[in-house]
Amino acid sequence: MKIAARSRIKSPWLFHLNTGSCAGCDIEIVATLTPRYDVERLGCILVGSPRHADVLLVTGPVTRQMLPRFIRVYEQVPEPKVVVAVGVCAISGSPFVGSQMIEGPPDKIVPVDVYVAGCPPRPEAIVNGIVTALKKKFG
Amino acid sequence: MNTVIILLITFPLVFLLSLLFEGIDRKVHARMQKRIGPPIIQPFYDFVKLFNKERIIPMTASSRIFTTVPIIAAAASILGASIPVASLIAGSNVGGDLIIILYLLTISPIMVMIGGSSSGNPYGAVGFSRKMTMLIAYEVPMLICILSVSVNYTSLAYYDIVLTQVKIGSLLALARPSMAAAAAAFVLCMPAYTETVPFDMSEAKTEIVHGSLVEYGGPYLGLVKLAKSASNFALSFLAVSLFFYTPALLERYFSPELGGAMLLCLVTTLIFMVFTMTVPRTIFARLKIGQAFKFYWLVPLTLSIISVALSILGL
Repeated sequence: MKIAARSRIKSPWLFHLNTGSCAGCDIEIVATLTPRYDVERLGCILVGSPRHADVLLVTGPVTRQMLPRFIRVYEQVPEPKVVVAVGVCAISGSPFVGSQMIEGPPDKIVPVDVYVAGCPPRPEAIVNGIVTALKKKFG
Repeated sequence: MNTVIILLITFPLVFLLSLLFEGIDRKVHARMQKRIGPPIIQPFYDFVKLFNKERIIPMTASSRIFTTVPIIAAAASILGASIPVASLIAGSNVGGDLIIILYLLTISPIMVMIGGSSSGNPYGAVGFSRKMTMLIAYEVPMLICILSVSVNYTSLAYYDIVLTQVKIGSLLALARPSMAAAAAAFVLCMPAYTETVPFDMSEAKTEIVHGSLVEYGGPYLGLVKLAKSASNFALSFLAVSLFFYTPALLERYFSPELGGAMLLCLVTTLIFMVFTMTVPRTIFARLKIGQAFKFYWLVPLTLSIISVALSILGL
């Protein structure tokens, strides 16, 4: 089991899901994947299909249109999985609090492991969030 | 009996080597982009992790085909890689000739294609059609190359061709103009066969979400990835031992021991793999399927036909 836990920490594959964010956090996630921050040294790859993923990076407050899709994508990620909420919108709903179009924040819908604050958070913070989530779940 | 035992010990060897080579490929790719890159044993971590994940079979998939296909793909490509390696270790032909090796290596992309189309995902179907097109594009020149080699040396046995190089004390690619053309066409076919970046339209991540692999997850994905890295290794090893068998050059000075020849061949394979897969995948962007098809039917096919023509003329 020890080898399995170590492998899970060493190879987190990321899937990025925008649930109605302004794309600020999404651009910072893309910046995290550039050679400057180089998350591949931690074994991270951005995958295109939720079925390949281990870590679900959620940005944005969950809009009403996005709610069933969000639940579906969450369920398509095979266990064991980690959810990281990136940005203030995904933590509290920030400027959208009280809006009738918002069903979120994400932790009302699925269990969230780590919150990365910032509007948008810096790439270092996102890397730290992923590492913390993996340590919390498998370490 | 002896050959069977050698073949059996080659299986784990091929498994380890193909994952290790993939790790080195990823490291070199990262260093070329001025990154630190993943550790060399990263593919092992990925493999173990994928095997410890949940198995999900989509509702739309025909589950029996969907689940058996990755096993066949992995088994076929590991066997295809084992036959050349075992032949070199045993020093004789082990269980089949070039035709069988090429068929075993073709099984794995076909199986992945079938798995993708059985998943019921439209992206899987797009991946299927693109992979089929590419298969037609590169398979024809590749088989003609092998045909040219066999016309030249009147043999389809793998080990005979390796021995020929030892006998003439030179690489096959440098021996005759016809063989040089065949080697060039074979090398050009390699990135398409292994689906590395200039020719990875069938598994384009940013375009059609991994194509055939879209619905695979957990252990099935692990097996498909293993099949892919094993066939990458097999193909590089095959190309090196057929056309660039470097121990043959040293034969003149001293007779390399079995282990030494094997090691030299593996090092050459690694260098060859870096230049035919890692470098193109770092410096080129993805082509369109029509461009790739046109390229394959213009350059490698012409080269391979020239090669056959020259071999018939006896050059």
